[in-house]
Amino acid sequence: MGLKKLWLVIERDLRMFMQYKFLFIMRGIWFVAQVALFGLVVNQMVQSAAEVLDISYFNYYVAGVTIITLYSTSMFIGYDIFEEAEHGVFEYLLTLPISRRELVLGRSIGGGLRSFIYVGPLLVIVLLILGVSNPLYLLVAIASLFLFAFGVSGMSITIAVAMKSGDKYDIFIGVLDALIVRLSTTMYPMLYLQQAMPPYAAIANFNPLTYASDMFRWATGVGGSIQFSPFVGVLGLFIFFFSFTFVGVVFYERRLEGGSWQ
Amino acid sequence: MKVKAILHVIEYDFKNFFRYRWFIIGLLAMNLADLFISAIVFTQMTSIVNYFQFFAPGLAVVGLFASAFMIGREINMEVRREIHHYLLSLPMTRAELAIGRVLAGGLRGMLYMTPLLITNFILLRFPTPPELLLILLTLLLLAIGISGISISIAVSTTSFEKFVTARSVVYYMLFFCSSVFYPISVIQILETKGLGFLVIFAEVNPLTNGSDMIRSFLLPASDGYVFSPLMLLNVAIFSAMFASLAIFAYMKILQRH
Repeated sequence: MGLKKLWLVIERDLRMFMQYKFLFIMRGIWFVAQVALFGLVVNQMVQSAAEVLDISYFNYYVAGVTIITLYSTSMFIGYDIFEEAEHGVFEYLLTLPISRRELVLGRSIGGGLRSFIYVGPLLVIVLLILGVSNPLYLLVAIASLFLFAFGVSGMSITIAVAMKSGDKYDIFIGVLDALIVRLSTTMYPMLYLQQAMPPYAAIANFNPLTYASDMFRWATGVGGSIQFSPFVGVLGLFIFFFSFTFVGVVFYERRLEGGSWQ
Repeated sequence: MKVKAILHVIEYDFKNFFRYRWFIIGLLAMNLADLFISAIVFTQMTSIVNYFQFFAPGLAVVGLFASAFMIGREINMEVRREIHHYLLSLPMTRAELAIGRVLAGGLRGMLYMTPLLITNFILLRFPTPPELLLILLTLLLLAIGISGISISIAVSTTSFEKFVTARSVVYYMLFFCSSVFYPISVIQILETKGLGFLVIFAEVNPLTNGSDMIRSFLLPASDGYVFSPLMLLNVAIFSAMFASLAIFAYMKILQRH
């Protein structure tokens, strides 16, 4: 496998991402509105719960919103795949002197990397707000978030190639987004998920968003959040990354042959 | 002005709406996830209100907004693909076409919102017939106003991305500065952060008035929500303003294209 060719695929996806100026603006507005309006007001509403856990809900929520942003921008690669299929760009990509595996792996890495580039500035602002508990923890958390972003991109590619209609993909992603975000600890601590409905907490325990957001909070010192050892968090995200990146690669590779994506 | 022509336009938009049935089912699933997951968890976290009961009426307004706004997405697509030339060639006046589109947007919002409103009635309580009429009238006016905003934005730009961005700005401003997600008494905290203008905006926001009006009929009196005719007046003014703007913009801007 040629690293140079792999990089060319990644570079193309990064360049394509830079064209989505309005997506950047939209997600930026969403982030500011979530933090400066929703976060501030809900923080007031759940004061008593925050006191029980000895946390600032505002800080807890800001960390969660960062992970939701990383998740949604990583999912965006699926829309690109549909655009390309609709406009016949797929055929062009297949004629390039790049192996199928390089193409697919490059897209998965490119998808994760570009979401990191987008979230990078937000991450810096969030770190300024929350602080860092230990630089080593932060490094571990950032590495975990990379695994998370690549895994989500792989998942998005897998779903996109499994579905033949852009509309169905859009709907499926919307529903998945609603469930995966709400059944995780991005917006509320595990204790309250458990109190509300034990099955919700059981699902949240296996949700990659739970691992990603709790690892990030662990690194930033947002107290009362992590329910598992950081090793389990990294392992969970690694399994998620490995499953979707490599399963996604194999799946995508097979679907490419014979025009079965059409 | 012929009512039959307006009805034809409404029928055309309803047929388009049902073409997106999977989209509607997906949207409904997302709304129900908000109620049956997020609202239940927040109920455990807050002692200010029973959040599940509080949020249920807000959810009907969220659904109403999302579906009434969909008409703008379609009209923006028509402008981009120049389908509006065909619509303008139909044997009806520009005013009939424009009124039909605004009304269709609102009625589609009402149709989508109905299962969410019924869920409210089942979970909270069934209103008396006069209360039900007032709720439906207010929500219809609200839906027409939202459809008006959506159409005004849709015909103002040929770029889908700009339309989506504008929709997001409107959505976040109207929802986060309203009592849809949290009580107005909690929003008042923004005053202490130097954001007093947002509190004023939240108080006059038609989404606040729409959701608080449903709460006044469906929640126990002890929760402190009391119906005031001013709520209806607020929504009616909003509706008249944006429906007129949309009709005017649709007629004038499409002709210019």
